[in-house]
Amino acid sequence: MIRISAIYIIDDDPITVFGIKKLLSTVAECDEITTYANGKLAIDQIKATLENKKSLPEVIFLDINMPIMDGWQFLEAFISLAIPQKIRINIVTSSIDAVDRDKWKWYKSKTHHTITFNNKPIKKEGISEITKVA
Amino acid sequence: MLKGTQTGTNNYLVKQLPIATAFLNRKLEVVHASDKWIEYFNFPDRDVFGKKIFTLFKDSHKNWQKVLNDCLKGKASVNGAERFMDSEQKDRWFEWTNVPWHDEKENVIGVILQTEDITDKVNNELNLEKQHLLFNDKSEIAKIGSWNLDFINQELTWCTTSKRIHEVSLDFEPNIDTAIDFYKQGYSRNTISMAVERAMVEGVPFSEKLQLVTAKGNEKWVIASGKPIFKHGIFLGLMGTIQDISEEVLADIKTKENELLLKTLIDNLPLNVFIKDLDSKKVLVNKSECDYLGVKNANELLGKNDFDLYDKKIAQISRDEDLQVINSLKPILGKETRCVKKDGTVTTFLTSKIPLIGDDKTANGLIGISLDISTLKQKEEELRDLINVTSLQNKKLINFAHIVSHNLRSHSANFSMLLDFLINEQNGEERENITKMLVEASDNLLETLENLNEVVAINTNTNLNKKPTALKETVAKVVLNLAGFLKNNNAKIIDEISDDLVINVIPAYLESILMNFITNAVKYKEPSRNPRITLGTAKSGKYTVLSIKDNGMGIDLKKYGDKLFGMYKTFHNHKDARGIGLYITKNQIEAMQGKIVTQSKVGIGTTFNIYFNDKN
Repeated sequence: MIRISAIYIIDDDPITVFGIKKLLSTVAECDEITTYANGKLAIDQIKATLENKKSLPEVIFLDINMPIMDGWQFLEAFISLAIPQKIRINIVTSSIDAVDRDKWKWYKSKTHHTITFNNKPIKKEGISEITKVA
Repeated sequence: MLKGTQTGTNNYLVKQLPIATAFLNRKLEVVHASDKWIEYFNFPDRDVFGKKIFTLFKDSHKNWQKVLNDCLKGKASVNGAERFMDSEQKDRWFEWTNVPWHDEKENVIGVILQTEDITDKVNNELNLEKQHLLFNDKSEIAKIGSWNLDFINQELTWCTTSKRIHEVSLDFEPNIDTAIDFYKQGYSRNTISMAVERAMVEGVPFSEKLQLVTAKGNEKWVIASGKPIFKHGIFLGLMGTIQDISEEVLADIKTKENELLLKTLIDNLPLNVFIKDLDSKKVLVNKSECDYLGVKNANELLGKNDFDLYDKKIAQISRDEDLQVINSLKPILGKETRCVKKDGTVTTFLTSKIPLIGDDKTANGLIGISLDISTLKQKEEELRDLINVTSLQNKKLINFAHIVSHNLRSHSANFSMLLDFLINEQNGEERENITKMLVEASDNLLETLENLNEVVAINTNTNLNKKPTALKETVAKVVLNLAGFLKNNNAKIIDEISDDLVINVIPAYLESILMNFITNAVKYKEPSRNPRITLGTAKSGKYTVLSIKDNGMGIDLKKYGDKLFGMYKTFHNHKDARGIGLYITKNQIEAMQGKIVTQSKVGIGTTFNIYFNDKN
């Protein structure tokens, strides 16, 4: 069992959220798993956390297609924040569009955080690989 | 004494003779001479008597000595002409008659000389010969032959040139019948026969341009002229000329043929051809140009310039081009030009303007050739439109394929994941929970499929045709359907559409579009105020523009503009936001060849301008 202090799941699809949580429970011990239905809610929380000097999540599961603020817009906002520690962001999407893969590579090259690209559904075997402190 | 007297008498008789006469003795000394003789030769020493004849005529011909000696032997000579230089150094010609001088006993006692001054005669003869030569030369060069018909003797004579024209040998002897037979059967022969007849009977001269066939079978064009000759009222015959004008006629025919060919060619070219002078005035136009400018006769265009025929701006461009060609002497070739006639008709031409350069190396005008490419241009535009439509459709198709694949994949991923959980789940409560989610996922998939189906229907249903539809009526119908929803939200509709406005649309789409925009405007109202939706129209080119303006919360177009009409894109935290309405609306508008332009300000409101294409 991996120990993770905090995990964010940013996804508007309750089934996916349910699935990720269920898979996580088999590989990690986590004190706090928080879910956000879109990027805006998550980034607002992260900004507040930074301001309050509280601890940020170690791992973020991020969907791309969401209302209000999608995964890319979230990434854009996130990497511009001054966060010295490395945070792992796992993009989880059903998209097989090459454009999305290119965007991932572009963001990956722009930041010191660890960003991975994962297609749905996430398998039991793969979850432990991406659920660790970056 | 007697002898002396006789001599003296003789002397006196001879002296008075009116003809230049001299008597020479056997020694060829002058014994008697008429005054006329002495005067003729104008001897420096008038005393010629007793002097030898060859002393008097120092330069005389040797032949004469022989003639005189023959006379002394009793032989009369033929007359001879002798040239003599007189004291004034002028050439004089004399005809000599030398005869023996006999006494009563028929003894030759000397020679009698008789001379006649034939200088004038000789000169005339020379002149005549000269003129004859000159005349022959002239007739040879001008190819004018002469002929003469002696009516009394029924004799026709041709000069050498006449014979050459007829290509007969020089010893050919024509007569009136053979002469007429040389003319080509038909018009030429009939005409000459009648002309000769009239000349002989009525005394009318003639001059006709006719064709003859020579002895060698060559056809020639000639001018045959004739004139009757009368003497004391009696018809003597005809005289006339025959001139070979084949070269001129053939050249003329050739020129006319060339002109005709050129004219036929220029007139029937599918090109507008014109020639302009230095003032850009038309001096030649072909049929195409006349047809284009709507005139029947080229004369209606000659002398006119472009300002008389075209829109002022276009005419100035054309004049500037003309000046450029005239001044630079460089042609403009295949330039695409837009011509606007006075009535506003627009034609696109490929125009070439070529300077007409004279001998002085300056232009004295220009030739213009224009090819009407309007239809080509129109086809090109249609093709470009088609390419645009095709590429747009292609883009939409790719976009749609992504939407389909993405949406279906996300559902299938959920199914796969949930089924995997279900297989491995032992806990009955959790299994129930997973099953519930599977049902939910199934419903979602069904809904997605229905939405996609709707979009496909819009884009593929070609059975639906546009119909003229009264906009105000349709709006009223939609508002009536939404009456409850509008009332619950305290929404107000302000309809500024004119009563009689009819637009060309697919009625079902129009209803759906109005329904979507009006519901959206209410759904995304600004919470602090009651929704007000204003509908108005305007005309923009081939579009009728319907504007739907609300006072809702507005949307940040900088952030969301490109996604506003995307599928499953929602921008507000609204419980009913499905992200499908505007996507379908956009598809419906585009299926009617229309477009949407959005203006919005966050907190103020949004205006959707819907462009309905009036064309089918």
